[in-house]
Amino acid sequence: MKILVPLKRVADPDNANKVKIPAAGDKIETTGLEWKPNPFDEYALEAALRLTENGQTPKVRAGEVVVVTFGPKETEQTLRAALATGADRAIRIDTTDDKLDGDLVARALAALIEKEKPDVVVMGKQAVDGDSNQVGQILAELLDWPMATFAATIKEEAGALVVSREVDGGVATMRVKLPAIVTVDLRIVAPTSVYSTKTAATFKYNDGVRFAALPAIMAAKKKLLVEIKLADLAADQALKVEYKAFQAPPARKAGIKVKDVTELVTRLKNEAKVL
Amino acid sequence: MPPMIEQSFMKALFHGVIAEDMIFPYPELPSDDRENTAMILDSVRRYFAANVDAAKIDREHAIPPEVMDGLKSLGLFGLQIPTDHDGIGLSASAYARVMQEVGGLDGSIAVTLGAHQSIGLKGILLFGTPEQKRKYLPKLATGEWTAAFALTEPSAGSDAAAIKTRAELSADGSHYVLNGAKIWITNGGFADVFTVFARTSSMEEGAKPKITAFIVERGMGVKNGPNEHKLGIRGSSTTELFFDDVKVPKENVLGEVGRGFKVAMEVLNSGRLGLASGSLGMCEVLLKLALERVNERRAFGRAIGEFGLIKDKVSAMLAQTYALESMTYLTAGIVDGKVSDYSLESAICKVFGSETLWYVVNDTLQIAAGIGYMQDYPYERMMRDARINLIFEGTNEILRCFIALSGMQGPGKALSDVVKAMREPIKGFGLLSDFAVRKARSVLGRERLTRAHPLLSREAVIFEEFTGELASNTELVLRKHGKEIAEMQFTQKRIAEMSIDLFAIASCIARTTRAIERRGEEGARREIDLTSIFTTAAQKRLRQNVHDFSRNDDELRKAVASRAYTDRAYPFDIV
Repeated sequence: MKILVPLKRVADPDNANKVKIPAAGDKIETTGLEWKPNPFDEYALEAALRLTENGQTPKVRAGEVVVVTFGPKETEQTLRAALATGADRAIRIDTTDDKLDGDLVARALAALIEKEKPDVVVMGKQAVDGDSNQVGQILAELLDWPMATFAATIKEEAGALVVSREVDGGVATMRVKLPAIVTVDLRIVAPTSVYSTKTAATFKYNDGVRFAALPAIMAAKKKLLVEIKLADLAADQALKVEYKAFQAPPARKAGIKVKDVTELVTRLKNEAKVL
Repeated sequence: MPPMIEQSFMKALFHGVIAEDMIFPYPELPSDDRENTAMILDSVRRYFAANVDAAKIDREHAIPPEVMDGLKSLGLFGLQIPTDHDGIGLSASAYARVMQEVGGLDGSIAVTLGAHQSIGLKGILLFGTPEQKRKYLPKLATGEWTAAFALTEPSAGSDAAAIKTRAELSADGSHYVLNGAKIWITNGGFADVFTVFARTSSMEEGAKPKITAFIVERGMGVKNGPNEHKLGIRGSSTTELFFDDVKVPKENVLGEVGRGFKVAMEVLNSGRLGLASGSLGMCEVLLKLALERVNERRAFGRAIGEFGLIKDKVSAMLAQTYALESMTYLTAGIVDGKVSDYSLESAICKVFGSETLWYVVNDTLQIAAGIGYMQDYPYERMMRDARINLIFEGTNEILRCFIALSGMQGPGKALSDVVKAMREPIKGFGLLSDFAVRKARSVLGRERLTRAHPLLSREAVIFEEFTGELASNTELVLRKHGKEIAEMQFTQKRIAEMSIDLFAIASCIARTTRAIERRGEEGARREIDLTSIFTTAAQKRLRQNVHDFSRNDDELRKAVASRAYTDRAYPFDIV
């Protein structure tokens, strides 16, 4: 099975307080931010690796995992890390972050998929910076492929994937024929979430995503990483989403102390207006 | 200028010469190396977060076998072994950065990994024949085999020349037979390959013992004692080793027969740098603990961080740690720059690193106060783990003597050359005039640190001033005491302390200059301020040391100590 995994780097969510908005409010200041792979994309890569191996012998790859990202040269570090973790090949689509929206990314990916012809695209359900949650869905529409979103488990069958997602009060399970688009949620990296046809049903993975051993990091240098111009995939680079302004959340006001329940009730009624 | 033969920044400094091209521009990891190192650190952090419980390792006095296996399959046992021999092939700088991370995460693991590759197998890397490398390095790189460094004996610690373990060549010349014992050998309980130092000349021969290094496999008959019970780094294995007619093939001589002392020194030079980076990693973790604590803990209605005495501690710890980081990566950069003599710099890093750590762990524990003393918190364990760094791989006392004497060697030789030249004035004219030029320069105007950024001119002037003092006092004590200087440990200590402070200041200046050039004054505000604080504190120590050369109570102290040796106890009791 050949799987394409789109990856995005995001500003380190653990250092969200470093995100600054200039006075003009026209953009987010990205200089000096620390970058990390979008966590949901890391989960997608883990799911793709699990689908292309026998869990018992993770060093033997069965199938091909191609990772792709959009961005300047620096984003290659995200790709290298994915290669070190086990992906076979990487593609960087050269562009800058602020010239993209979900639609353009999906159109460029669709063009790339025409060339690469993967059996499945496994991707994060959304990026934790913009939280748009669009690309997978638009992509499925453009390709006219079946899609399964917010996957919590994936089981490979011949020519299809059985995907379940958590819904209020239960689990919805569906079967998608390949080729297909699958977007994943965080439960996908649990020990028994993903099974290829090669992995025994009794096998349990370690919880979470795998990380690269040092020799693999050095060996990843030799794996193929190619650059493609965005223009070669999408002639029309017009954006459909336009950001009008950015604003930091208002600073939290200090709390107050009340002397008794009566005052609390009065204030909740008159000031907070919640009663 | 003959004294400029020195291939070491610090050795040149003892002549009063500031070889600034050796430290400017401040080195940095090449971008390729930086990317690899970032990925390696990411894997190390993830592995430790998921698998390593430092408190449990300390409590149970052992690194669990599955953690050892995990560290091996991660690739942490072959960090500096070249890729041709199945290692990771890291540069000295990248290696130091990884050891910094591990040092902060777990002291026992850091010491275990360090004993394996900073010293255990380092001799094979530096002096091994192609055959020895082919045979040992690939298995050591994967951790299939682990290594240990066996130098210390009951009556030979810092004094390596007193080694009693004997190696006698067999009658047919095919092998050596080793007999003797080693003590306090890290990884002694499980290592498969030992770098062992043994005497290949008889004990009775007198002053010049010949020490030879051997690669000894456990299977050749090495036995070990039980794990010692230690103050800290309790998960590491420290044992005695016994050699009872252990037959070692002559192919396993490491380096040349009789040149083992050189092997030991070179290995320890690199090992000391590893200790400095591990110490740095612990400082970093401690600072994080301290900075959390000062915000959380409240007293008198305020966070304790608002009090002056806490700010005093925090700023001093930051400045000291900045100096340590600066000198560690300057030295690592010097090693990567293929400068072969970094013995002085790495000894300084070890002394400064271990003492900075001791100071930081002590003050962090003090800030934590009550909880700092409790076993439920990491402070006391980190304090116990930190303490070994002042002792092993050369005690800080012996290293101070080493720094002073090794630094003074060049000027001492120059002086004796001048004396010789004066006996033969015509032949020695060139030498004399060079010497006169240098002399004149250090008397009339000092050597300049021209590449420091102008914003650091106050610090640069202090560095220049005390470089002059180091050189002139070196010359003064050499002229005054001649060979006797070898016995003058009070003086050696002053010289060593000055060199340590000067190297720290130079490292801060070089690094901060790079920061200013990259990011401008405001962008480099933190670096500029820490350099200022460190240099001001160092200046006070430097002044005191200069003052003490001529006015001190050394003789009184010696007399008091000697009298106490006779008393054998504290002599008073008020009852």
